[in-house]
This record gives sequence, C-alpha cells and structure tokens, in this order.
Amino acid sequence: MIKSILKFFSVTFISISFTIISTVASAEITINWPSIWVGKDSKTTVIRELVDEFNAANAGAIKVVIEEQTDYDIYAQKLTAQISTGDLPDVFTVGADLLDILHRSGKAMDLAPHVGSDSHWNNVYPENALQSNMMEGQLTALPYELFVTPVTYNKKLLKAAGYDEFPTTYDEFFKMCEAVTATGKVCTSQMTGKNAWTSMLWFSQAVASAGGPNVYERGLDDPAWAQAFEVMEKMYMYTTSDAIGADAGVSGGHFLNERTAVFMNGPWFIARYTSDGIPGLHANIGVAPAPMLTGGKGAPGGYVGGRQSSLAAGKQSDPAKEEAVVKFLKWLTTPENVARLSYSSGAMFIVKADLPADMDRLFIEMNEQKGNAPYVAPTFLNGIASLPIAKEFPQALSALAIGDVTPEGAVEMLKDAE
Amino acid sequence: MKLRKDEVVWLLIFIAPAICLFFLFFILPILFLFVTSFTNWDGIGAEFVGLENYSKLLNKKSFIRAITNNLYWCVTAALITVPLALIVALLLAHRSRGWKVFRTVLFIPQVVSSAAIAMLWAAMFNAEYGLVNFLLEIIGFSDFEKYNWLGNVRTANAALIGFSLCYVGYFMVIMLAKTAGISDDYYDAANIDGATQFQKDVYITAPLIKSTFFLCIILAVIFNLRQFEYVYLMTAGGPANKTQVLVVYIWNELSVQRLGRGNAAGVIMICIGAALLLILRKLLKSETYN
Repeated sequence: MIKSILKFFSVTFISISFTIISTVASAEITINWPSIWVGKDSKTTVIRELVDEFNAANAGAIKVVIEEQTDYDIYAQKLTAQISTGDLPDVFTVGADLLDILHRSGKAMDLAPHVGSDSHWNNVYPENALQSNMMEGQLTALPYELFVTPVTYNKKLLKAAGYDEFPTTYDEFFKMCEAVTATGKVCTSQMTGKNAWTSMLWFSQAVASAGGPNVYERGLDDPAWAQAFEVMEKMYMYTTSDAIGADAGVSGGHFLNERTAVFMNGPWFIARYTSDGIPGLHANIGVAPAPMLTGGKGAPGGYVGGRQSSLAAGKQSDPAKEEAVVKFLKWLTTPENVARLSYSSGAMFIVKADLPADMDRLFIEMNEQKGNAPYVAPTFLNGIASLPIAKEFPQALSALAIGDVTPEGAVEMLKDAE
Repeated sequence: MKLRKDEVVWLLIFIAPAICLFFLFFILPILFLFVTSFTNWDGIGAEFVGLENYSKLLNKKSFIRAITNNLYWCVTAALITVPLALIVALLLAHRSRGWKVFRTVLFIPQVVSSAAIAMLWAAMFNAEYGLVNFLLEIIGFSDFEKYNWLGNVRTANAALIGFSLCYVGYFMVIMLAKTAGISDDYYDAANIDGATQFQKDVYITAPLIKSTFFLCIILAVIFNLRQFEYVYLMTAGGPANKTQVLVVYIWNELSVQRLGRGNAAGVIMICIGAALLLILRKLLKSETYN
C-alpha cells in the first residue's frame, strides 16, 4: 500500500516537474535566423560568437537559432519565395535587389517606430543612412554591410610579366594580359555560373567607365552597355578554360591558387586570401581601381560598390517577440560588434565603428582608394534594378564569350529579358 | 457487373479520401496555375493580362529552345536509353555468371542522390582539372586539353544527355523483372527447335516484354520532360541558354517573381506532356501495355 502511494506521488511529482520545466522552457523566445554568414564565409566565426554571446546574456529569455544557408543564390531564391508567401523568418539579411518587393509585401517588420523609441540606431548610423532607406515612412530593412569591388592582383605574377603597377586603361590592361599569358599564367578569373558574380563586377566597372556612374539612369539604349560587353569579350580571351559555367568557388579558387593574376571581389574576401590562399598569397596582393576605357565618361579611380546586405525581420504578432528581435538587431549593430566583424572578415559596414589601427592592409588600401574615388557607382545587379535582366546577364555573357552574339547582341538579350 | 446501392456507397466512401487528396494537390493547383497564367502575378499583386504571357513566351527564343531541348531529351530517352536498357535486360536475362553484380552496378545511380551525381559529373567535365579531359589526353587526344564540355555550345547538350545514360539501370530492372515471369515452356520449345540464344532473345523474350518496353518508353519521356536537376546543377541552362529546358525556364521565371508568366510556361508544359502521351499511345498502340 505504502509502495503504491509512494509510486503515485513520485509519478505525480515527476509529471508536475516536467510540466513546470516545459512551461519555463516555452517562455523562452526563439528567434530563427537563416544566415548566409556560415561555412566558408569570412564572417562565420564572429557571427557565431555574437549569437552565442547574445544567447548567453539572454539565457532563458531569448534564444537565436542560426539556420545555415550555405548557398547565397539558393538563399535569395528561398527568401523571394518567403516574401511572396508572407512566411518570413524572424531575422534575415536581404540584398538590395529584393528591398522593393520586401517593402511591397507588407510582411516585414517596420523598424521605424523602434528607431524613434531610443537613440541606439540614430547614434550608430551615419546621418541620413536610415532616412534614405525608408519607403513610404516605413523602415523595412536596416542598411548593414557595404562593399567596394576594386581589382585585386597578384603582384608577384604581374612582376614576372614585367609590370610593377596595375594598368590604368583597358588598352594597357589587355597588353598586360598578353604578357601574363606569355609567362604561362592566366590573366583574369571569370565566371558565368550562378549570377556570374566576378564577371558581373568587372562588367559593372566597365559600364561605369564607359557611361559614367549615372549610366543606369539612361537605360540599356546607351552605347556604354555595348562598350562594356566589348571589354568583357576581350576579358574572356584572357581567362581560364573553365570560366564559362564556372561558379564563384571555381573563379575564386584560381586566384587563391595563383593560377590567375587578377581577380575582382568585395572586401569580405580579404580574410580568405590568408585562410584559403596558397602560403604567402596575401602578402603578394595589391589593390587598385579598375582600368578606364579610353574616351569613356567614367573618371580614373572610379569605384564600384554599394549596399551588400541589409538586416530585416519578419512582422511579429507577439510584442514580446518583436522586442526580442529588435534587441538582437541592436546587438548586431553595436559599434563594438560591427568592428569585430569588420576586423575578422575585412567586410565593410555602414554602422559607425572605431576600427582597430591594425586593420588588414588590403582593407585600409580599399578604404583609402574608396575615399579618394571620384564616385562609387552601383554594381550592375543593384543599378539595373531588374531581377529578370540580372538573371539573364550570365546567359548574355556566356553567349558573348562563346561568340554566339556580338556585344550589341548581348545588350539585346538583356533588353529582351525585361 | 452491376453494383448494389450499398456497394456503391461503400465504394464512394473508400475512394473519397484519394479523390479529395487528388483534387486538393493536383486538380486545384492546375486550376490555379491556369487562372494565374493570364495575370501578371508577382507574388504580391496580380492584374489580368489576357494572353500576353503566352505570346511573350512563344516569341522568346530561349523558351522555344527549352521546348526543343526537352523534346531532344525525350527522343534520346525513347530511342537510346530505353532500347539500351532492353539490350542489357536481355543479356542479363540469360542469368550468366555475375549477372547480379552487373544488375546492381547499373542500378546504383538510381539510389544515389541525383544532385550528388550531377556535381560529380560537373567536376569530371571541368576543363581545368576534369577527369574526362585527363583520360582523353592520356589516350592521345591532345586537342581536348582544357576543353570545356559544358561550356561549349557543340558539346554541352551532348555531355548532359550522355551522362543521363547512367540511368539505363532503372528501365533495365523493370524489363528484367518482366523476363522473370516468362514461362520456361517457350524456351524449352525453342531449344527443341534448335533456336540459338540470339533467336530466343529476339523472337521470344523481346516480344513477350514488349508491353513493359513501351511502358518504359512512356516513363522515360515523362521523366525527361520534367528534367531539372542535372541541367540546373551542371549548366543552369547555359551557355547562352543553349541547354535550357522547360522546368529550369519555369524556375527562372518564378525566381524573378514573374509568377504569372512562369505559370503560363507551366500550362504549356502540361499541354506538351499531354500531347506527347497521346502521340505515344497512338504510336505504341495502347492496348499492348494496358
């Protein structure tokens, strides 16, 4: 009898304990963050640290869970679908090309009231940075990562080809490519796979060089587009044999392994020159503005860059969760944390942060050149502001590279995509 | 046989769940697809645009290319993959020594992730470090040094479709299973008549598995009409849209938020599929596999 009573009370006690534990556990707010800053991304380590520190500081109350998104393109497609269905993640990063549709969906959290509620974001963002991001009085995304895309070149390989300085015009540049080819190396890393990122950056430079930084306002009828494709046509004469169809891993891999002499990517790639490059690569890398087209409307030293990714959040029905999300976004945008991210990865951010004096040499050079640049023109993907045209670009570029179309024909392909 | 009233009621009760699910997950989406194909739906808003999506699609070279490439895939499957599977099935039906090993090896691609296989083949075809060029160089074809198989208009489609022959094992297994059901009496009679193995294959086995062969052709055509992962992962429809296929085209339209036009492409794909099936049923005389 006593045993039965004891059993009964034991079971009851355990059940009540479980109920209490589960109730307490369910009080914890979980924030899901499908993050692209994972895997090989240069921001992975610090992002993980920041999330862990945030979770530790808010133990039992808020927990941020990173859902790893290892493919940028797939992530963008997934996010596009989520915007359409209204099933947005709690926190996410969004590219400039999706900002308009994100706003129109009405599914993103409006951060404007939170900007006004305390001074945090007004203090950490430069003047007008938030205002310029507002649409119809709403702030659906916080501008976060910035980028510029100068040329990075291997000084050792260029020296072997007889060049101490990076050329300033495309005429000189292609002469240099001849010289590099003669040494048995390949001049440039290019790619037409996925969004043709590296080649797209070169194309952006060439378009701005031919038509000036405002070329996008004049539309695709401007002759600058065909001129830029002419540059790309030549560029593909001095690239690796696998460039057509190659993805960013392949094109970047050639430069990291010193198979190619010239490469173009954003500052986030700086850390990878050390972590993934062959020994000594980082020391051999130089940074320069892209060459200019003779007679073009661009100006020497002109840079291409812009907003890389913004922070956004899905609309919340629970005020407590909304507060938790805002708290986490504030954590990601503190000057100290942004400085840590920037220091470890080389990435640039719009948030005002005191960067350490011993920032990477390449980062400093990029920053200086950006400061001296007569303009920072948008990339083709951002400037053209059309998803269908951006999607067609790799096909037009590959058609040009294989001789299927002329530069004018490549422009027609872009026009036809709209 | 005429069913009683209570039998009809029970019949309806039992098939109702299947019909409901079929309607919910098949008929309804097709209706939705059809209706939205006449709009400029972008995921946020939609306006009726009539036949604009269809006319734009049919005037696009890349879309026509996608259709012809899909037909190319289907014809290759019907004329090469399935007949090859038949030959292999006939050979393995002899149950010669080691036939089970061959059967397993040929079936392996079917149980491996197609994405993994596509990535593997993309690496094998790579111009700089791919195994294909390496082997060609070893046997003396130096012209193929750094040849970009998937990046060249002349070879991209052939390379894609060529590697799809790996999937011969699927159809082979289906036909091989059918041969197991053939009565030994036929072969005994043929032996008495002094028939050779080749004659037995051609005059006994092949005709008796004809219905399965036709079924395999239909399956192969359907599979290849909805070809996606190999093209998407290996070439993404490039270079210059030369390897574009319908599903990748639809995917591209959807990924740029042109959902209305993507759905119009989907409707056209359904029509092409239905037309192909009707033609095949006519050509293959449906009673032989029904």
